[in-house]
Amino acid sequence: MMKLNYFLYGLLWCISSSTNNISVINNDSIRLKTEQQNFTAGTTIVLTFSGSEDASIRLYCSNSYGTTLLNPKVTTNELQYILPAHISNKAGVVQWKLLNNASSLSGIVHIVPQEQPVSLETYVGPPSIEAGKTDYTMLVTIPTDTFDNPLPENTKVTLRRQFLSSEQQDTIKTSNLIAYQNMYAPIKSGRMLLATECLNLNSKEYTVEIMPAIATDFEIFSKRSHEYADGNQLTTFTTSILKDKYGNTVSDGTYVEFIIKNAHGNLLKTVGMTIDGVATAQMMHPDHEETWKIKAYVTGISESNTLSLTYKQVVKDFTVSFSKNNRNIEVGPLQSFMKQHIPDGLQVMLHISQNGNVVKSDLKESRNGFVNFELNPNVISNGKYVIHITAAGITKIFKEIQL
Amino acid sequence: MIKTDKNIMRGFLVLTYVFIISMLIFLVSSAFGYLNTGADRSHMLHTEVKKEQIYLPKMTWINDGNKGRKLDTQTLTQIENDYLNAWYIRHVAYKTNQTVGIDDYYTENARKNILEYVAQNEEQKITIHTTTLSHEPNIEFFSEDGQLVVLKDTNVIAYKQVYQNETFVTETTEIANYTVILLLEDGFWRIRHLVKDSVETLQNTTQTKKIASVNLQGINYYPQATPWDMYGDNFDLKSIQNDFEIIKKAGLNTIRIFIPYEDFGKANVQSSKLEKLQKVLDAAEEKQLKVIATLFDFYGDYRILDWTLTQRHAEMIVTTFKNHKALFAWDIKNEPNLDFKTRGKQNVIAWLESMISLVKSIDNKHLLTIGWSNMESAHLLQNTVDFVSFHYYDAPADFSQQYAQLKLKVTDKPIVLGEFGQSSYGGFWKPFVGSEKKQAAYFTEMLQILEAEDMSYLVWTLYDFEDIPSKVVGKRPWRTNPQKKFGIIDNKGNKKKAFECIAQ
Repeated sequence: MMKLNYFLYGLLWCISSSTNNISVINNDSIRLKTEQQNFTAGTTIVLTFSGSEDASIRLYCSNSYGTTLLNPKVTTNELQYILPAHISNKAGVVQWKLLNNASSLSGIVHIVPQEQPVSLETYVGPPSIEAGKTDYTMLVTIPTDTFDNPLPENTKVTLRRQFLSSEQQDTIKTSNLIAYQNMYAPIKSGRMLLATECLNLNSKEYTVEIMPAIATDFEIFSKRSHEYADGNQLTTFTTSILKDKYGNTVSDGTYVEFIIKNAHGNLLKTVGMTIDGVATAQMMHPDHEETWKIKAYVTGISESNTLSLTYKQVVKDFTVSFSKNNRNIEVGPLQSFMKQHIPDGLQVMLHISQNGNVVKSDLKESRNGFVNFELNPNVISNGKYVIHITAAGITKIFKEIQL
Repeated sequence: MIKTDKNIMRGFLVLTYVFIISMLIFLVSSAFGYLNTGADRSHMLHTEVKKEQIYLPKMTWINDGNKGRKLDTQTLTQIENDYLNAWYIRHVAYKTNQTVGIDDYYTENARKNILEYVAQNEEQKITIHTTTLSHEPNIEFFSEDGQLVVLKDTNVIAYKQVYQNETFVTETTEIANYTVILLLEDGFWRIRHLVKDSVETLQNTTQTKKIASVNLQGINYYPQATPWDMYGDNFDLKSIQNDFEIIKKAGLNTIRIFIPYEDFGKANVQSSKLEKLQKVLDAAEEKQLKVIATLFDFYGDYRILDWTLTQRHAEMIVTTFKNHKALFAWDIKNEPNLDFKTRGKQNVIAWLESMISLVKSIDNKHLLTIGWSNMESAHLLQNTVDFVSFHYYDAPADFSQQYAQLKLKVTDKPIVLGEFGQSSYGGFWKPFVGSEKKQAAYFTEMLQILEAEDMSYLVWTLYDFEDIPSKVVGKRPWRTNPQKKFGIIDNKGNKKKAFECIAQ
């Protein structure tokens, strides 16, 4: 409805007759002498009127950017209006009107851009695209003349591109002041170089990165110095070289998550990022007998096979000795698979309970194969307690301990 | 005991520690906060440029797709905002010959063109007062990286007044087509290239209706309780319906009502006000009263850069009510000639002309007039209105002579006396000047003259009022008090002597 209204509005403002040509509705003798209507930007444009020497007659003049009034240069029976450079240099339509009372001379002058470009304003984006035949980048160029006017429609622009061993050349034409081209990504990753040329004017070099596409499924491997659950050594996980479906190695830094499921169904996670397609991650050995199932993911994109690893128990048994009214508990020596003291850091858990309620819990890590617990009389008053000690998956229970 | 003491001591120490630490954190964070003020990242991205609506030309996007990337609505809105700002900033630059804001909306290369113009116009003391009334832009191309847009802006209607040495030189209305390249820089869509492809001068040839006569016997209407504030919080439809009943019974067939510009919400007309106006028109239709709706009451700006706002206002109101059966005519503006002195005759006339074109383009069915305040101005713009109307508050004896003069100038349009009346006030501020008797005598005499001239008329007004807002005749008591007593019914609802003269 609004559109229709607007259409009516347009109709009502009926268009005057003096449009495309210089109108001659003059009542007195002033006449336009200049016959030329089309000019090239940069040429001096003089509108000469014969039949008057009245210097007070101004010329209304308006182009794309603005409007102004011009004063004449008076010669014998002539008025000369020299369009200032900021009007005669800009392409587009210039409308003029002679502002004398009697006549209403008006008209337009077309200014076309110069043919020779001096600048190729070029925009390339996005600057990086994904290999394969779906993603593309776009090059837009605005060839302009020395006065910053975009060149005329259908000006030819040559677009050259180099990628790996291939070099290609296309011709595009300007339309609506610009010329543009969509460039689809090749299936190989790498760097594409672009350049444009318009009427022997060459642009600078533009680069577009062709990034590898997303990773496909891959394999994982593990490496460990021994198979014992010593809670100390690291198992290292690595992937095969991650590749996209075109065989390009994925970008460095691709985030790979390794999800480890233990015998109880709990999940452990470690991560790594790819370098040259290979991601590496590590996980400390468990401190008790365990079976791990490991699978790696590039989240939402691809996954690996499942690895299974078994760790053997190292601490077979340990001694617990009480002293100082049973308030000092010494656990150890904790011995590893070659009877060596287990490396520092094995966790030992202590629970003290009375009538089924846990009164106090403590967690300590081993040092030189031993752990000592001191039971503070301010915290645990005298009485009978049950004591649980857990280390390396083995739990020992001491009932009726008098403190 | 010892344990308890220890615990108290412990508690005290802990609380003291917590207090000191929280004080320290508070001090450090206030210092940190102070140092961070003014460094808000959103300023850099211009995410919240506060904007008042100052420029609203009619925008009709032609959505026929583009050759590049698909354009989402949010980007289109941003482009529209910045593109219109670019036009507005340029209008301001040429009006003031200053370049404030040009940098924000034109790229470095494009702004040179404007600066050169401004420099030349400044030197020769030329100022251009201009606005664009409508645009029909069409996105031709949107680049894949979202940084470049090419649009064709067609049928851009621009009105211009050119001044030199503060003297009016010429005015013109042009319709032009542009090709524009905009680049996204620093969060602004800036004009990079602007090329005028074609331009034509528009002649205003508004088509008027040829009518022989209008046959109106009516009254200018405000409710008794809320004069000059008819659509406010105290809007009372019941009393309006009663008043219309009185008017109908008095044998009158027309009312003239007023639509205040600011009260209705300027460019963004409030729907609540429109609903109230709808109810008034419905009530008039029920009583078979014809309505002359006077737009732009209390509007007095007329600046060319304000035109687009008034056009959106008129567009909304006229579009809403153009099919209402009670509507008889649009009165574009009440007494615009009173603004000639302060706002410039040139501006007021140009504004009226442009507004008439707009209203006619939306509603070609109803008649259109301008309520001039006197007979000297009534002939102005007579070729664009459907009937001429003016107001008369002078002595009845002088009427015929002045009217004869007007008829010489206006030969082919019906002429309506839009307002006439006399105050019955004869109190302290103007003792013995007026009375109900004198008022009745005035109406008797005037109606005889009008009958002799076979003229349509509208009386001022139905009621005496208790309060006159200061925006009507100011605050001086010798002005406001007579203004209160122009009614033909007093403020208690009793019919004055004049009522009988009017009622037929």
